[in-house]
Amino acid sequence: MVTLIILSALGILTLFAQVLRFKKALFPLILVGLATALYFTLPQYNNNPSTWFSSMLGFDNYSAAFSRSIIVIAFLWFMMARNYFLQETSGTDHFALIIFSMVGAISMVSYSNLTMLFLGIEILSLSVYVLAASDKGNILSNEAGFKYFLMGSFATGFLLFGIALIYGVSGSFDLHTIRTSVATHQQPTMVLMGILLLLVGLCFKASLAPFHFWAPDVYDGAPTPVTAYMATVVKTAAFGAFFRLFYTCFPDLIEQWSNVLWWIVALTLFIANITAVRQTSVKRMLAYSSIAHAGYLAIAIVSMNGDASARSILYYTLSYSISTIAAFTVLYIVSRNSGRDDFGAFEGLAKTNPFLSFVMVVAMLSLAGIPPTAGFFGKYYIFQNAITTHNTGLVIVAVLGALVGVFYYFRVIIAVYFKPEQSNIPVTVGSLHQVVLFITTLLTLLLGIFPDWVLQWI
Amino acid sequence: MMQDSIQKFTFLALGFFAVLSGLMVVFTKNPVHSVLYLVLTFFAITGEYILLNAQFIAIVNVIVYAGAIMVLFLFVIMLLNLNKETEPHKNPYLKFAAVITSGLLLLVIVGSLKAADKAIATPYPNTGDIMQSLAKVLFTQFLVPFEVSAVLFLAAMVGAVMLGKKEIK
Repeated sequence: MVTLIILSALGILTLFAQVLRFKKALFPLILVGLATALYFTLPQYNNNPSTWFSSMLGFDNYSAAFSRSIIVIAFLWFMMARNYFLQETSGTDHFALIIFSMVGAISMVSYSNLTMLFLGIEILSLSVYVLAASDKGNILSNEAGFKYFLMGSFATGFLLFGIALIYGVSGSFDLHTIRTSVATHQQPTMVLMGILLLLVGLCFKASLAPFHFWAPDVYDGAPTPVTAYMATVVKTAAFGAFFRLFYTCFPDLIEQWSNVLWWIVALTLFIANITAVRQTSVKRMLAYSSIAHAGYLAIAIVSMNGDASARSILYYTLSYSISTIAAFTVLYIVSRNSGRDDFGAFEGLAKTNPFLSFVMVVAMLSLAGIPPTAGFFGKYYIFQNAITTHNTGLVIVAVLGALVGVFYYFRVIIAVYFKPEQSNIPVTVGSLHQVVLFITTLLTLLLGIFPDWVLQWI
Repeated sequence: MMQDSIQKFTFLALGFFAVLSGLMVVFTKNPVHSVLYLVLTFFAITGEYILLNAQFIAIVNVIVYAGAIMVLFLFVIMLLNLNKETEPHKNPYLKFAAVITSGLLLLVIVGSLKAADKAIATPYPNTGDIMQSLAKVLFTQFLVPFEVSAVLFLAAMVGAVMLGKKEIK
């Protein structure tokens, strides 16, 4: 709760930076504010969650762990995006929107009432719709914002319809009341319809096929730092909310809905990995890769295995987000330098800037799931849970998908190391970006060696 | 008994009217006519709210949707000069797929609602003033969502200003 209050206050304070003329101090202020918010997510709740305000919000180890993960990722993201936002835009309103969207993200992982889930999703989405369109001179960015907005509102309609049907059956928005009422209910058709519509809404937000059509265009059109935010914080929050809902409310009906989700996951893994191979732009390839990773994450929801699944989702989102931040930072630096974002822009990077190319290789290895990086253990825990709950078929599809994934991630590595350089312009890296790249690479390697650091959070 | 059946008939008639004008919103070619049919739909739904004993929502529906938002719609159509029949021709396969999928969705929804022979949720105890009981729930049980929606509106306002203003560096 304190985290939410601090973040809301920080967002309002950010808005005043331009008027009260403390814009120079704004960036350190945001970092200090995020660190304070992080401090208040540290307490362990163990088995006694603290509920707030007639159990609208329930804080337990799950929500604390996901809040921590979201704030850490956002901290790295702010360091990555500072230069873009302060040099190319007025800065303050963009930062304020990001902080407000974090308020939404935190309430999405700590709700215990469907109204808070809905509000959280809306706060997060609304801010990101605007940010996707924030490069106003660029028609692709306009298209991205508009497309995301229209399709997002449509998906919200499905989500609301689902919530209404569930309310019609259980007479409550409270997660625990819904669980008892759904489990003892005699006529489950309406419940199943509600679950199906909720699934449609949430699959859209998490960009799972066949509700993924918006993702490549939006990720491609939005400014690169905003894309990095969508691929990391938004995805973490969406899966935090997705798992919390199905874990708390509908574990008793798992046989019904896991069938639907099984096919959605298989379709996602197939479509995303195959389409990613055909991309020529690295940014678009990363967009399809983020859809594929959503597929791997959703395996953990199909193979619902209590806290073990929660742990695997937490670890996977954190390791995936850290590598993605690193990859997008390198992409941002390279594409800014050469003015393009296809594979050719990366050719011969190893000769002009060995540090950047090393960072990119570690990020790609982690996204592809090669040991000893964190990405390997993320996939390992998810597959382990899937096998324990007898979802071996899904694991086979996922492993095949990961093999295809190795192909397109290695295209970047080949371009970096084994192609002659395109130009002799040295790629320069700002000091803040150097810090981000150093931290993300270190974390990717360290989390791979000591996964317990994250796994013990839940 | 008589009053009951009159109420039921009115409810059904209003529902039919709402669906009909909703269809007309989609089928008319002229955008201005679409907006006017949408106003009719809102009024029909407002009637349903009154029959369901939700007078407050009925009034809010008229003021906010039929009043404010529809006027905005008309302004946008006027300012962008859209009042011509310039709808682009859509792919017939796309239309076919849309009809099939939405028909299936309708079938499933109707089926699931038919299976539930009575509403399970008990109506909220109606003690005296409707506004009073609504306010009581809003400011006690649902206080946090009410407060958090302030963040939502603030984000929406900041976003609207950000997209609307000239870029100052």
